[in-house]
Amino acid sequence: MIERAWRLAPLILLVALAVAWQLPQAAWLSLAAPDPAVAGRMTATLDALGEEPRVLVGFDPDLGTYAETRPTVRALLAELLARDARLGFVSLTAEGRALASAELARFERAEADPSRLLDLGFIPGAEAGLVDLTRGIRVAGGEAGAFASEVIAGGIGAFNAVLVIGGNDLGPRSWIEQVAPRIGEVPFVAVTPTVLLPEVQPYVESGALRAVLGTPRDGAAYRESLDLDSLDRIAEPMEPRPFPILIGMLIAVAVLGQALGARALDGLRAARAREAA
Amino acid sequence: MRRPTLTALVVIVGLLLIADLLVVNSALGQLAGIVVDAAILVAAGAALAGVGALGARRIADLWRRRGDPVAATFVLVGIGVMLVAGLRPGSSGTGDPAVQWLIAALLVPIGASLFGLLFVTTLGAARRSLAMRSREATLLVAAAFVTTILLVPLSGEVGAWLSGVAGWSLAVPIGAVFRGLLIGIGLLTAVYAARTLLGMGAADD
Repeated sequence: MIERAWRLAPLILLVALAVAWQLPQAAWLSLAAPDPAVAGRMTATLDALGEEPRVLVGFDPDLGTYAETRPTVRALLAELLARDARLGFVSLTAEGRALASAELARFERAEADPSRLLDLGFIPGAEAGLVDLTRGIRVAGGEAGAFASEVIAGGIGAFNAVLVIGGNDLGPRSWIEQVAPRIGEVPFVAVTPTVLLPEVQPYVESGALRAVLGTPRDGAAYRESLDLDSLDRIAEPMEPRPFPILIGMLIAVAVLGQALGARALDGLRAARAREAA
Repeated sequence: MRRPTLTALVVIVGLLLIADLLVVNSALGQLAGIVVDAAILVAAGAALAGVGALGARRIADLWRRRGDPVAATFVLVGIGVMLVAGLRPGSSGTGDPAVQWLIAALLVPIGASLFGLLFVTTLGAARRSLAMRSREATLLVAAAFVTTILLVPLSGEVGAWLSGVAGWSLAVPIGAVFRGLLIGIGLLTAVYAARTLLGMGAADD
């Protein structure tokens, strides 16, 4: 009976998620971290960049974890454009390049100012590619304008800050190890999936990374703190809904709890059987 | 068997890159640049070879009627469509609208769906691992159970408490284990690198 119900579980899950998706927002559910200190650190770092900063965006999320970071990434990029920043996108992984390409196409559809965006393409070689980036940046022939000229002339030195969108294959650690020692005092900030946080946290504590949005809760707190005005169209059209997330987590808790309970009962029965023998 | 040429190459390249990082010298920088360029070319070549090998393997599967023909066909069609979109005359490569559509409308949603399925398959794997009655599996699933409860997105005092404990568990026990693993991997890498530099093999142990 239980096994039959388990076979139907994916269908039940889909129906439950579809119903939860339609439920209105509830005050007792919140995705945002109660303590906005992490989000505040990101805002303070961006405040210190000055007017019209040039930001190098190392865009290397992976398909598996991008769903977790995507709302925060889009909000942060929209916030940078709202601050009149100019963004140069470079990727060092194939998945990162694919996602960067999709995001750049999305910028185009959202009618973002093209003079503030620069596609620096894909550099193979991961860490070797990062080292190469510090020696000079090649701008594709199709890219023109003042921003492209500044980057061609100044290389990585033309940028006032580095934003790393990390993933499983390449994250802030590689940037801090390979790029930071070669370019001097340029602030690094990052958005990463939670799985990278343990390896990234020491860099935040040491100051090598000025700010990191590394959990969904910190990302949600940061998004709540933003006022993007007209550039709201560049951010995610809809915030992640907490009800489907809650339903999924409760199902996970129920399934894991049932399995653990069954395992504990088995252990107890086995212990009693040994005592009886 | 020792390979003195390979060891010498590793020593020279390693020292060159370290020296380039520490010393400001134009000639040294150019030399290090050649090495870095070579590494990038090798990586790009390896990536292309990987895709080529995947395609060749799937063609061989179809030719010899082994494996899953539907999957092999999908892989080959996927590679072919992306190559045609990006390399056809007049295409602007990865910035071409056709390539961007393939990525945004197909690749990203399909990838996200596959990873979304991990929710169901991971729960199934957790149940099966518990059925094997191993202590490690029980510990793993119990930790996942507790962590999932801590991440429930409640607001108010309960939510703040859960969030605080989740943050602590991520920063202290999980962080400690994770960093311990990273330090261990780092030490092993250093030992292995030193053995390579010194030309030491299993026969020397």
